[in-house]
Amino acid sequence: MTNILSVENIELYYDHIYALKGVSIDVAEGETVALIGANGAGKSSILRAITGLRPLKSGRILYQGERLDGASASDIVRRGISMVPEGRRAFPLMSVKDNLLMGAFTRTDKAEIEQTLESVLTRFPRLRERYHQQASTMSGGEQQMMVIGRALMARPKLLLLDEPSLGIAPKLVQDIARAIVAISRDEKVSILLVEQNSRMALSISNRAYALSTGSIALSGNSRELMNDDRIKAAYLGGEL
Amino acid sequence: MEQIIANGLYLGAQYALIALGLTLIFSLMNVLNFAHGQMYVFGGFVTYTVVVQLGLPFIVGLFASAIVLAIMGAAIEKFLFAPVIRRSKRDESTMLLAAGIAFFLDAVILLAFGEKQRGVPKIVNGVFNWDMRIIMPYDRILIGVLAILLIVVFIGFMNYSRTGRAMRALAQDKMAAQLMGVNVARYSMIGFALGAMLAGLVGGLLVTITGVNLGMGGPTSVKAFLMIMIGGAGVISGAIAGGFILGMMESVGLTVLSAYGDITYLVIFATLMVFLAVRPQGLMGKPWG
Ligand SMILES: Nc1ncnc2c1ncn2[C@@H]1O[C@H](COP(=O)(O)OP(=O)(O)O)[C@@H](O)[C@H]1O
Ligand SMILES: [Mg+2]
Repeated sequence: MTNILSVENIELYYDHIYALKGVSIDVAEGETVALIGANGAGKSSILRAITGLRPLKSGRILYQGERLDGASASDIVRRGISMVPEGRRAFPLMSVKDNLLMGAFTRTDKAEIEQTLESVLTRFPRLRERYHQQASTMSGGEQQMMVIGRALMARPKLLLLDEPSLGIAPKLVQDIARAIVAISRDEKVSILLVEQNSRMALSISNRAYALSTGSIALSGNSRELMNDDRIKAAYLGGEL
Repeated sequence: MEQIIANGLYLGAQYALIALGLTLIFSLMNVLNFAHGQMYVFGGFVTYTVVVQLGLPFIVGLFASAIVLAIMGAAIEKFLFAPVIRRSKRDESTMLLAAGIAFFLDAVILLAFGEKQRGVPKIVNGVFNWDMRIIMPYDRILIGVLAILLIVVFIGFMNYSRTGRAMRALAQDKMAAQLMGVNVARYSMIGFALGAMLAGLVGGLLVTITGVNLGMGGPTSVKAFLMIMIGGAGVISGAIAGGFILGMMESVGLTVLSAYGDITYLVIFATLMVFLAVRPQGLMGKPWG
């Protein structure tokens, strides 16, 4: 299997404090990879590095075999990488419709944008009901569906999800997990899923990496990691 | 009564356009453009030059004002504000820069156009008279209608065009907008150009009625700040509300308070202070500024 994404030994700093010291991650074509770890471990920093929001100190990132680091955030979206950021970051005063259309900002193929919009609304029927409603008036779960839909509007080849279960009612976490599985099945998209909800992340991914203060502590097949004593102790304990 | 409302609407439409430009720049870049009034004056002089000096039709003058100010706004953003914002994390830096640009533009206007009051001959003659209840020269009506038309076009553009949507997105969440592929540098420049263009257009509109002079820049900036404070900074509806409210207050003040001397703005300032003490975010103020 070819890798759509290879993160190679990256280091990332905020001012003079490191957040990542030599992290390597691969995502294969069509795969869902989970990235788990405690708060502050550096999960979001990895995604910020991939999407060009933060520069690297060293190391490199390859996407479809080509250098990605150094490209601007807007170019990276155009190359097929979409991110659902931590805390959702919906456009609060825009309607659901305009939020979704913003997702297709880099596209110019009008007719096909309509098709994608239709498929997103079919995937998340709640968004159709709320189509003209202002985003800030919706629940956290609905907003999460919306920003996932917004990311899909770009028709990405690689989808990055940063803690989609954060602050969502437990019942809706299951819906979101199902939606991620369905997206991976229906769309030609590879997924890198960042989660603190390790149980959920391991149950819907093929492989996983466990991050601990800026470096990879463990990695492997998700099903095996689920039964790994070290993972159980460090990441699954509280949630059983 | 009808006369006061008509005057207020006429004035309010101009004011709302000025406030829209200011609030657009503020919401996109968190920059209070102290030079907004000078841009308005500059726009007036451009129309004056094209119409009076070059003898071209008024509409050409208006277009020239729009284009010159859009280019000026783009250049000011790209070569002055963008580098300062990149290097400095303090808000005062852009405020100082904006104040500096205001003084600089005053100097440029003085050099290029002189200190005389300039006007453009009436574009239409005649006076509308509704039973002595509303008396308004046709040219004022035309300018008022043009201003309202421009407001409608601007709102339509912001709400339904791809560029307008991107600017709203940038104003509401810069990081998320970046993740959608919006080039922040490019759209900040477009937004600044558009804001300056609106100021220039109002200058071009009003030069036919009241004329322009060098001294109008500063006071116009202050009025524009008043409007966005009334309506709530960074919000389109707030700028429009603020513009029309200030226009109305001026119109009422000039009629009702004229007997007590020139105290309209004293009363407006006092009222505004009380209002802002109760509602500091303005009428439509939103948490995002
Ligand atoms: N903007 C920032 N400025 C300074 N330090 C930051 C910033 N963002 C994150 N950090 C620090 O970098 C480390 C990793 O953060 P982050 O990648 O957000 O972790 P995670 O997503 O795993 O919770 C943390 O110690 C955090 O405090
Ligand atoms: Mg995080």
